[in-house]
Amino acid sequence: MFRLAVSNLAQNKARLLISVGGTGLALTLVLFFGAVFTGATGRLTVYIDRAGADVWVSQAGVRTMHMSASALPATATGEVKAVPGVEEAVPILYAEDMLEAGGNQFVVYVFGVPADAPMGGPWRIADGSAVIRPGETIIDHAIAARAGVSVGDRITVLGQEMKVVGLTSGASSLVSSVTFVTMDDFARVRGGGSVISFVLVKVAPGESPGAVAARIARDVDGVTVQTRGEFATQERKLINDMSADLINIMNTAGYLTGLAVVVLTVYIATIARRKEYGVLKAIGVRNRRLYQVVVLQALMSVATGFVAGLGLTLLLTIVIPQFDELLVLSLSAGAVLRVAAISTVLAGVAALLPARQIAGLEPVAIIRRR
Amino acid sequence: MDNLGLQVERVTKRFGSGDTEVVAVRDVSLVVNPGEVVLIMGPSGSGKTTLLLMLGALLKPTEGSITLDGLELSAMSERKLPDVRLRHFGFIFQDFNLLSALNVLDNVAFPAELTGVSRRTAREKATAVLTELGLGHRLRFPPDKLSGGEKQRVAIARALINDPTLILADEPTANLDSSHGHETMRLLREITQKRSRSVVIVSHDARIKDIADRVLWLEDGQFMKAIEMATDPICGMAVEREGAVAGVREGETYYFCAKGCRDEFLAS
Repeated sequence: MFRLAVSNLAQNKARLLISVGGTGLALTLVLFFGAVFTGATGRLTVYIDRAGADVWVSQAGVRTMHMSASALPATATGEVKAVPGVEEAVPILYAEDMLEAGGNQFVVYVFGVPADAPMGGPWRIADGSAVIRPGETIIDHAIAARAGVSVGDRITVLGQEMKVVGLTSGASSLVSSVTFVTMDDFARVRGGGSVISFVLVKVAPGESPGAVAARIARDVDGVTVQTRGEFATQERKLINDMSADLINIMNTAGYLTGLAVVVLTVYIATIARRKEYGVLKAIGVRNRRLYQVVVLQALMSVATGFVAGLGLTLLLTIVIPQFDELLVLSLSAGAVLRVAAISTVLAGVAALLPARQIAGLEPVAIIRRR
Repeated sequence: MDNLGLQVERVTKRFGSGDTEVVAVRDVSLVVNPGEVVLIMGPSGSGKTTLLLMLGALLKPTEGSITLDGLELSAMSERKLPDVRLRHFGFIFQDFNLLSALNVLDNVAFPAELTGVSRRTAREKATAVLTELGLGHRLRFPPDKLSGGEKQRVAIARALINDPTLILADEPTANLDSSHGHETMRLLREITQKRSRSVVIVSHDARIKDIADRVLWLEDGQFMKAIEMATDPICGMAVEREGAVAGVREGETYYFCAKGCRDEFLAS
C-alpha cells in the first residue's frame, strides 16, 4: 500500500508540487508567525533576563512589568538589603515611554538606574559608553539605525532632550526597545520624591534565589518577591494571554489553508483514479486497504509540506534579521512539535472526504462503464 | 470431486421492481469444469456482463446459487467476498485497467502481496508469470509505454498471479487488433490449461471461438444454444462440431476442418 501511495503521489509531478507547495507555504505561515511571536516575546523579557538580578522585588500584588505599575518606597531598598542572603540590592525606576529621534517616535521601556550600580544597566554595548551621567542616555543601536542617530546626537526621552552616549545591541524587537537613563534624571522628570519601581536583588554566593525571595517576602512588608525565572514567566504569560486570540486566528488561517490544499489535491487525485480504485475493489482489495492508500498520500503530502515549510522558516529566521534587526525570529522546538502534531491531524481530516468517495465506489458500476 | 469447478444453478438477476423490473439473467444454469475454457457470446444487452459479474461474486443473484470449488458464493456475506475474489478469481477487463502509477512488475505483484506473501516472493512469482507471457523484458516499464497486446498480457499475468480457480474475462479482445487478440487468448488458454484452471470469457468477438472448449450463446438473459468445439486431430484447428466434417474410427467420432484432414486421419 505504501508503494502504491508513493507511486500515486509521484506520478503527477504538477499535482504533487501544488500539494506540497501549498501545504508547505501554509505551514510556513504558521511557523513564521510563531517564530515572530516567540522572538518578540523573548525580547520583551530581555531586561528581566539580562539585568543581572536573581530576585525581583515589586509593589505588593504587582507580578509583571507590562500592564501594571509598581511603586515602592525608596526605603524598601535598605530593608531588602538587610535580609540575610542578599548580596546586592539596587533600586530602579521603570516606565513605558515614546522616544523621539530623527523625527520618528519609538515605543521604549525606559529604565532609570543609579550611577555605578552593579546591575540593572546595559549589558552589551555596541558603540560608545556603558556609563551614563545626568542628561545622557543609552539606546539600542537598532532604534538608532532606524532613526539615523549616532553616539553624540541628541534625542528626546521622557520628554527631556538627552545626549546619546552609548548604543546597546540585542535589546530591541518589533514592538519595543530598552533605553537607559540615570535614576536621578528619571526621578526628576517624575517630580522627585522617594518612590522607586523595583528592587533588583543579587543573592550571596551559595544562596538559593528561591530561599532568599522567601526571606524577603517574610521580612519586608508591602512587597511581592519573585525569582528572575518566576518574574519572566509571569511576563511571558501576560503577553501570551494578550496575544492569544490574534495568534490563534493567524494559526487557524494557516492550518485551514493547508487543510484546503491537501483536501483538494488528495480528493482530485482520488477522483482521477476512481476507476483504478474500482478495479482494485473488484479484484478483492478491501476498503480498509484503499483508505490506507489515501491516508498515506495525505500524510506524505503534509509531511513533505511540513519539512518544506520548516526549511523555509529556518531560512527566514536566518535571512530576515540580516535586513531588519528589529524582526527577531525564534523557532522553538515546542512550536515545531505542535505544528507537526496538528499537521498530522490535518492529514487525517484531509483523507476523510476521499475515503468517503472510495467507500461509496461500486466496482460493478466502474466495470460496466465503458 | 463433483464440487470442483464452477456450478451455476438456475440463476436469475432482476433489477428494479414492478413496472420497471428488468430481468437481465433468467434461470441460467452452467457448469464449468477445471481446465475448461467457456466463451459466452451474445448481442449487446443480452446479460453477458451481468452474468459475468455474478460469477465473479461482484453481484448477487436474485435467485439461484453459484458455487466455486464447493464454496457457495451467492450465500456468502459481503465481508467475506473480497478475500474470495482475491484468492479464487482472476479478472481480465476490456480496458486492461492496470494501475498507471505502478510498473509492470508491481502491477502483477500487487495482488499477490495482498494475500500476505512477502514482497520478494510476490515479485518472484510476478516475474515468473510475466516471463511465461513473454514480458520478461518489460518488467520495469510503466503501463502507458506498452502496446495494447502487452497491456492485456500484463492483465492476464495479474489475473493468474494468485493461481485462481476461475479466470473471468470481460471482452478481453475488444481493444486489440485481431491478430493480437487471438494470440493473447491463445496464450491465455495455453497457460490455464497447463495449470488446469477454468476460464469464462464474455465477448462479442467470434474470432476467438476456436480457443474455447464450449461456446454459449446468451440472448435475453438465457442460453439459447451451446456450440461444441473440437480440435482437428490432423492440423490442430478448432472447429465447431455442428457443420464440421466428421469421421468415425474405432467407434469414436472425430471432427475435421476439411475432407483432406479426415481422409488423412482415417488412412493413418
